[in-house]
Amino acid sequence: MAEPILSVRDLKTYYRTRLKENVYAVDGVSFDLHDGHVLGIAGESGCGKSTLSLSLMGFYFPPLHYGSGSIVLNGTDIMTLPYETLRRDFLGKQIAYIPQAAMNALNPTRRISRYVVDVLSEHDIGTTEKQMLALAEEKLTFLGLPPRVLNAYPGELSGGMKQRTVIALATLLNPTVLIADEPTSALDVSSQKVVMAMLHRMLKQGLVKSMIFITHELPLLRHVADEIAVMYAGEFVEVGPATDVIFSPIHPYSHALMGSIIVPEEGMKARSLSSIPGAPPNLKNVPPGCRFAERCAYVVPECRMPDPVLAAMMEEHQYRCRFDEQELRGKYALEVPAHV
Amino acid sequence: MAEHAPMRLEPEARRGKPLLYIMAALAAGAVILTALSPYASLGWRIALAALVMTVLLSYTLPAFGKYLRKRIFWYTATFFVALALNFFLPRLIPGNPVDIILQDLMMGITDVSRATALKNQYIAQLGLDKSLVEQFFIYTGNLFKGELGMSLYLAQPVAKVLASKIPWSVAIMMPAILVGWLVGNMLGAQAAYKKGVYDKVIFPLSLFLSSIPSFIFSMLMLLWLGVSWNWFPVLGGFDAQIINKQSLVYYRSLVAHWALPFISQTLIIIGGQAIGMRSMALYELNADYVLFAKLQGIRDRKITRYVFRNAVLPQVSGLALSLGGMVAGSTLIEIVFSYPGLGQQLMMAIRNVDYPLISGCTLVISITMLVANLLIDIVYGLIDPRVRSAQTEES
Ligand SMILES: Nc1ncnc2c1ncn2[C@@H]1O[C@H](COP(=O)(O)OP(=O)(O)OP(=O)(O)O)[C@@H](O)[C@H]1O
Ligand SMILES: [Mg+2]
Repeated sequence: MAEPILSVRDLKTYYRTRLKENVYAVDGVSFDLHDGHVLGIAGESGCGKSTLSLSLMGFYFPPLHYGSGSIVLNGTDIMTLPYETLRRDFLGKQIAYIPQAAMNALNPTRRISRYVVDVLSEHDIGTTEKQMLALAEEKLTFLGLPPRVLNAYPGELSGGMKQRTVIALATLLNPTVLIADEPTSALDVSSQKVVMAMLHRMLKQGLVKSMIFITHELPLLRHVADEIAVMYAGEFVEVGPATDVIFSPIHPYSHALMGSIIVPEEGMKARSLSSIPGAPPNLKNVPPGCRFAERCAYVVPECRMPDPVLAAMMEEHQYRCRFDEQELRGKYALEVPAHV
Repeated sequence: MAEHAPMRLEPEARRGKPLLYIMAALAAGAVILTALSPYASLGWRIALAALVMTVLLSYTLPAFGKYLRKRIFWYTATFFVALALNFFLPRLIPGNPVDIILQDLMMGITDVSRATALKNQYIAQLGLDKSLVEQFFIYTGNLFKGELGMSLYLAQPVAKVLASKIPWSVAIMMPAILVGWLVGNMLGAQAAYKKGVYDKVIFPLSLFLSSIPSFIFSMLMLLWLGVSWNWFPVLGGFDAQIINKQSLVYYRSLVAHWALPFISQTLIIIGGQAIGMRSMALYELNADYVLFAKLQGIRDRKITRYVFRNAVLPQVSGLALSLGGMVAGSTLIEIVFSYPGLGQQLMMAIRNVDYPLISGCTLVISITMLVANLLIDIVYGLIDPRVRSAQTEES
């Protein structure tokens, strides 16, 4: 397989609270992202999805801090770059971000056109203001927005328009990696579909080379993602091809998740991830051993022992459990599908 | 809700348009003629200026002009309510001005019928024998002729008293508000942005300044800087022993007497503004657009500019409001420092149940307040797109 576009190894980041406690919100995440691919990240609220997407941008400001690990984008470890280089050549240019709260992502007192110029003039791309605005207009049109959006203030746009404007702005420079943090969660179902279709089209036409798509609505991922990572308490517990993860998950957490949202389609939307009893561990003080042990239906005492080789790795489909795939599948087969 | 009432009348208004135009033209003509006549009072001139402004704005910015007309309508209505309150409220104060005026005169008079006659004579002379409503119409009528009446106690025209007192208040408050606003906002912004030690010093200090009752703070200043350390003179607006009001000594004493109330007032304002600005800036710094801009690779310098522009917008209305409340706001300071401004005069007028003077003082206060608010509406409409778009929706 070709070299990945983005390769993340053992990334650890944490929040430092005002009381000087550390919240280990991203704790040893590794994955590869290939050209033209979409990596979907799913997990319960609070498992660290947003933190991970911020951490991937390669720079940190309080309260978020960098612990360790590498983020290699197109062969460059962006963690080793000085801030100015990262800002000028990467942020918004090679790696772009659509925030979870896109509704308030724009400065309310600046016209979209001024903001476009602000962004583009920060990246030394050698274009005139007129060219910049033409570029922006092209992007807006691509996203089905009228050019008059350029002249508007954010407050004058509807929610759906604002969302698409944010996408247009984030992708102005055709980023290599686009990180979308629940870009559709604030929209109604039909606008969600429109936005998803647009993101897909951007990928198809090469306006965006690859994408990381975060959501806690797994049904959405099924149609867009090539790979899916399931995140739990700051870790990836399972990463693999989308269909495999959805239809034959290995990790007990993924299994429980998918069990709770299994086909038929109609039923998928109604159920949420939180239907697994119990709560995830406190990220300030993670217990040794498997983090899912507290809630796992197949827990054995050894699961709670500190175990350095917790993660079982395979080529494509990886998961983090002391049992191997066969053992787990054996357990799942015996299970009465009652806990759903 | 009330603001929408005129909009519902729109169809009828449209039908009656020619008549409306004629009436508006007549009213405008009357205002212009009166204001241009040599006898016009300041009020008429201001009304003319407002009229011209409104017409100009209606033509240059139609939506804004409409908004402005509506605002002016409501401010005018508010003005008349304020006018009525200014008239009636002082007259509800228990006590009788004539008793106070006659206090000394009465000392020697033992004959009860003579005393009553004298009292009635005064009451009739001052027009206090008419009914309150009648008095109100006389008062309002005089007001539009530019007359505020005579002070009962000082036996001087109210307008003259006000004119001699207002400059003192303005001299303290105007520079204090401007300096306090500027310095306070700068400190607040710094505290929010730099955090750390900076914030740990500025924040508690500002909190102290803004939460201690201002008269207590002024009295402490008076006690330390004025009395104990004797750095500043503490009584009045100038040294009463200086007779030559043109001499350098007199001016120097003016400045010396002005300094302490000015410093106290400035510090108080700095405290309040710094607290306000700090929290506004912190709020803006944590806004989602800051994160998005950062992640788009926009330089911190530029983002900081976004943040402070947005944070300072609400503070601008604070500035206009305190300028509008200037005259009222200086009352405490003037009383503590025995400074001869309007606030102190108002205090004395109330003590003497001097109706016309009380009404005059509160009228000045109401008008400055209203004008400041109107100015805020205009300035905001022009500089803040959020308000601007709300206006276009409204109209
Ligand atoms: N500023 C912060 N300071 C301290 N802890 C934080 C901070 N922001 C987030 N956290 C903690 O970090 C963890 C991960 O938060 P994050 O926002 O990444 O979750 P998420 O998976 O994106 O959730 P959601 O699906 O609700 O968006 C949570 O436990 C949260 O409490
Ligand atoms: Mg999130």
